[in-house]
Amino acid sequence: MEEKTAKEPPTKVEDQTLDSMDDTGDDEIDKAFQCFICLDLFYKPVVLACGHVSCFWCAHMSMSGWVQHSHCPICRQTYNHFPSICELLHLLLLKTHPVVYKRREKQVLEEEKKNECFSPQLVDGLMTKTEHGLAENALENGTSEQISITDVLCTACKKMLFRPAVLNCGHVYCEDCVHTLVNGVLRCQVCQSCHPGGFPKVCLVLDNFLEEHFPEEYAQRKDAVQLRQQHARHAGPSTCESQNEKGSTKSARKDGLLRTNGIVTEFAAHIGVGCDSCGVFPMMGKRYKCKDCMESIGFDLCGDCYESRSKLPGRFNQQHTPDHRSWHEHGED
Amino acid sequence: MDLSRVQKELKDCNKDREISGIGIEANGGDLTHLSGTITGPVGTPYEGGTFLIDVRLTGGYPFEPPKMQFRTKVWHPNISSQNGAICLDILKDQWSPALTLKTALLSIQALLSAPEPDDPQDAVVAHQYLRDHATFVATARYWTEAFAKRVTVGIEEKVQKLVEMGFPENSVRKALEIVNGDENMALEKLCSG
Repeated sequence: MEEKTAKEPPTKVEDQTLDSMDDTGDDEIDKAFQCFICLDLFYKPVVLACGHVSCFWCAHMSMSGWVQHSHCPICRQTYNHFPSICELLHLLLLKTHPVVYKRREKQVLEEEKKNECFSPQLVDGLMTKTEHGLAENALENGTSEQISITDVLCTACKKMLFRPAVLNCGHVYCEDCVHTLVNGVLRCQVCQSCHPGGFPKVCLVLDNFLEEHFPEEYAQRKDAVQLRQQHARHAGPSTCESQNEKGSTKSARKDGLLRTNGIVTEFAAHIGVGCDSCGVFPMMGKRYKCKDCMESIGFDLCGDCYESRSKLPGRFNQQHTPDHRSWHEHGED
Repeated sequence: MDLSRVQKELKDCNKDREISGIGIEANGGDLTHLSGTITGPVGTPYEGGTFLIDVRLTGGYPFEPPKMQFRTKVWHPNISSQNGAICLDILKDQWSPALTLKTALLSIQALLSAPEPDDPQDAVVAHQYLRDHATFVATARYWTEAFAKRVTVGIEEKVQKLVEMGFPENSVRKALEIVNGDENMALEKLCSG
């Protein structure tokens, strides 16, 4: 992904007056699901490693593409990797706020058309015909869809999420289950992508939602987890803890390669260019740019992802396929 | 610029204006040039004053900080006594898009309560603050009395007064809008054509 239009701030209709505020459906927005940046309902939410949520574009615009570290707008924790959209949250929002979410979709799409740069269209995942149908039905009835437990299951244990943490790839696990994924590196069991940095923190927006909507199930999960933790404590040092240490030293070591005094000294950054596989932004070291992708934002991979033959789709709406085989190699310029 | 966010911010901020002592208004219909007001914190030399702050939003807002400057003269180590420029990290490199105009103005209000003379904007004031604190307090209080306590006359009364002086109503309203309702500055503007 190469940033061209993205930093160009989205321009909106100039002649909007203060009075036109009232028909934006503001009052329907749950404060819990309000993006801290656009102050509107989350749209295509992404979750940072610190657990804070924002819209896809809000997160992308907040990242600095020219210095190595970006900071979470809310807690200022540093991060280097642009997260993928959390489809679970996306579906929840679509079901709980069908009308406002549709308005957001329209609004964002218009701006994307203007900037000729599109966010991923979630066609293969959730926005299938049936989902669209559901949302449209809900639109007609003006009611929100019922959320069921099956919408909020952990990717690993298949139980209702408890203290959910979201990986950089957007897949959601219980906090405890994330620890079981570590085998040298923290790798998502669905998409096999590595989660950069240490363990992700609990996403409180989602956690609070679960506690509120499924109080009984939440309490049960809480008891079960606490019981297990007690047992683990009695049985000496828990496997979780040892894995935790292993995972964090590993990631710290990996980071240490790139982080020297916070300034890039060993590799030069590719200003405004991010990796479409792991999301690192800006990219360090080698950069491979697909020659067959015609989108203005381009399709780029960092050295590591290129070597691992990443098959992931782009971070934006690029039509990159495994058939694209010619790459332009940029050195560590 | 994200105009809908600015609109939301204005609406939100003015909801609890009485309690927070922070207000923001658009200058006419222009959402890139706003006027903020903060009340001087109780227990400081600025108590009882109402300070006007000029707020300009660049195209990159909220990903770039708003440009803020005191329009009311104020005696403070971190605010220029000459042009009202403010030395505050969140208006510079520590800005975050999760901050708002209201939180920025609240920070300025907090800055009035807690000056940072070691990181001054106005060296003269900072020097006085450190070496001769009593004079500093007296000067700051005097400036508050002199500049931040203008009797707030309704805008219509000002318009009427200036129209009676022989200026056309349209120009009067425009002039008042530009100088943010300051009668004397509007008169100056009208006289200079």
